[in-house]
Amino acid sequence: MNILALIIEDDQDLSEIFSQALNAAGFETEIIGDGQVAAERLQQIVPAIVILDMHIPHVSGNILLKQIRADERLNKIRVVVATADAQMGENMRGQADLVLIKPISFTQLRDLTSRFHPQR
Amino acid sequence: MQTNNKFSLLINQLLDAPSSDPDDARRRKILNVILVFVASLTLFVIIAVSIVGIIRGSSTPDTPIIYLVCVALLVGTALLYVLNRVVAGWVASALFLLFLMVVFVFSDTPDQLVDGRSLFVFTIPIIMASMLLRPSYSFAFAALIVLEMYIVINMNALPLRVNPVAIAVFFMVASISWLSSRTLENALRDLRIINAELDQRVIDRTRELSESLTREAAQASQREAILNSIADGVVVFDKKGTAIVANPSLTSLTGKSQNEIVGREVTNLINSEELPLKQRGDISEFFSQPGKVPTFRVNWGRKTLSVNAAEVRDGNGQSMGTVAVFRDVTREAELERMKDTFVAVVSHELRTPLNAILGFAEMIKETVYGPVNDNQRKASVRIMDNTNRLLSIVSELLDQAQIQSGRMKINFVSCKPADLLTDLQETMEKIAENKGIKLDTELDQEMPETLIGDPQRLQQIMINLTNNAIKFSGQGDKVHVSIRPQGKKNWQIQVEDTGEGIPEESIGLVFETFRQVEGSATRKHGGVGLGLSIVKQLAELMGGTVTVKSQVGTGSVFTVSLPLISQ
Repeated sequence: MNILALIIEDDQDLSEIFSQALNAAGFETEIIGDGQVAAERLQQIVPAIVILDMHIPHVSGNILLKQIRADERLNKIRVVVATADAQMGENMRGQADLVLIKPISFTQLRDLTSRFHPQR
Repeated sequence: MQTNNKFSLLINQLLDAPSSDPDDARRRKILNVILVFVASLTLFVIIAVSIVGIIRGSSTPDTPIIYLVCVALLVGTALLYVLNRVVAGWVASALFLLFLMVVFVFSDTPDQLVDGRSLFVFTIPIIMASMLLRPSYSFAFAALIVLEMYIVINMNALPLRVNPVAIAVFFMVASISWLSSRTLENALRDLRIINAELDQRVIDRTRELSESLTREAAQASQREAILNSIADGVVVFDKKGTAIVANPSLTSLTGKSQNEIVGREVTNLINSEELPLKQRGDISEFFSQPGKVPTFRVNWGRKTLSVNAAEVRDGNGQSMGTVAVFRDVTREAELERMKDTFVAVVSHELRTPLNAILGFAEMIKETVYGPVNDNQRKASVRIMDNTNRLLSIVSELLDQAQIQSGRMKINFVSCKPADLLTDLQETMEKIAENKGIKLDTELDQEMPETLIGDPQRLQQIMINLTNNAIKFSGQGDKVHVSIRPQGKKNWQIQVEDTGEGIPEESIGLVFETFRQVEGSATRKHGGVGLGLSIVKQLAELMGGTVTVKSQVGTGSVFTVSLPLISQ
């Protein structure tokens, strides 16, 4: 069975890098560039890991994270916050499983997320 | 009193003789006085003789003669008076004296006149001559008297000669008169000169005073015009802290009327709802120590004002009060805020595409898109290195903007000095190695295991200093980073290198923003010159300091001292 990683990032280039890194870490990936769409999609699926950008359209990363944490059904999801704002990153540490400050390197993301893969 | 004044004014008018020469005027006045006196005496005699005649009921044979003489005298004095006023004083005086001498000749018997009881009367014209004519004319009249006596003796064929003692006495009286009159005249002349000088001095002083008053008034109005037309708000406080001057600009900047400011204390000016409470305290403290704090800004309603105060000193250096200048810097403050926002936004927006470049280069290198040969791999690494350089510049700009706008926050948490050094070694070792530089770290055993600090910012300080050390060192140089206690209350991070060092004249500039020592070094070493400036600002935000010692050719030592807060 494939392990799903949901990438919520509105920049196409960055989401491509994240996707490649997570593929390399053994995940199947799905990319969503809109907060509202992501929130709706999360009603249907339960990914193993979510890569969450803070600045996304319609619904902010912050609110999405709160929704995930409030939902019993989604309580096993590992959330990796990706932000360019170091200060915001510091503030998110308590809620996220991992905070990465942009620039995020391919190898860094690959190596770190591979630890979250349930089959390793 | 007034009648008295008018009367004496009239008398004076009658007695005064108009003359440009003050001596002449004085002599004429004396003659007038004498003439009036003689005329009065004559009138008195006429009245007295008339009364005696009426009482007795009969007149003596002399009575007509007395009346005749008296009338003649009255006519004579009147003529002389007119002469004295209209023609010339000296003519009247001379005629009067000659007339007197003639009168004296008929006043007694000839023998008594030349050698008896009436001799003394002849001293009268001699003395008068020195007073009415000139001082020396007393001698002329003494001689005239002697001549007159001689004539009297001869005309009466008296068996006498002119008395030599009398001659001697006449000339002696003449000498005394001459001397006293001359002394008097000299004294009067001196007095006149002194008076004239005094008058001149008074005139001069009055003119000077009026000139300086005019000048001061002109200067004052000039100053007022300048004060009224400058755009900065100006207020002057005296030594007691009471506002004595405030210009219209201050009124428009603060919204306080002149009446609310002038004549009142500083608290009255700053007691404004538009001014935050804390800043009111800041301003009054600022004014109590003018010149100590350079300039500071306050938010006055929607305006941003810069406030500057200086002590006012007089010519002797004595303090007279304080002058404060309020400048409207709303526009500047807005521009600065926009600049900060701009830098922050741009930095943020730059990072995303840079992240993409970095990621794709890395993926090529990691063969995500298929196998790469050695050259392609190396090219990817170059792309990554340069992107990283760009990223660090962007980070520095963002940090600088955050520090300057006051948005940089220090998060004090517990952190381990050993971890700081390990992280640094891991991050920087490869960069040092690439340049052939040996990087080592040292932790003093006296350091506590954990302390309170912001690991992210401490790491940034260490990375920036180490980066700087590596940048200005070359093949075979060493960079040594150490952490040790400094006294009981501080601890220090020290970064030593054996690089090229900093010239003495530039050492004061190394912590300035956008500054690299020497223009050529900027080309040689790259970077925007923010690294050390950020170190200094971060150190200060943490309550610490940074110092540098350096020698050209030997290397540099940067020391950051921070307050030690252990758990």
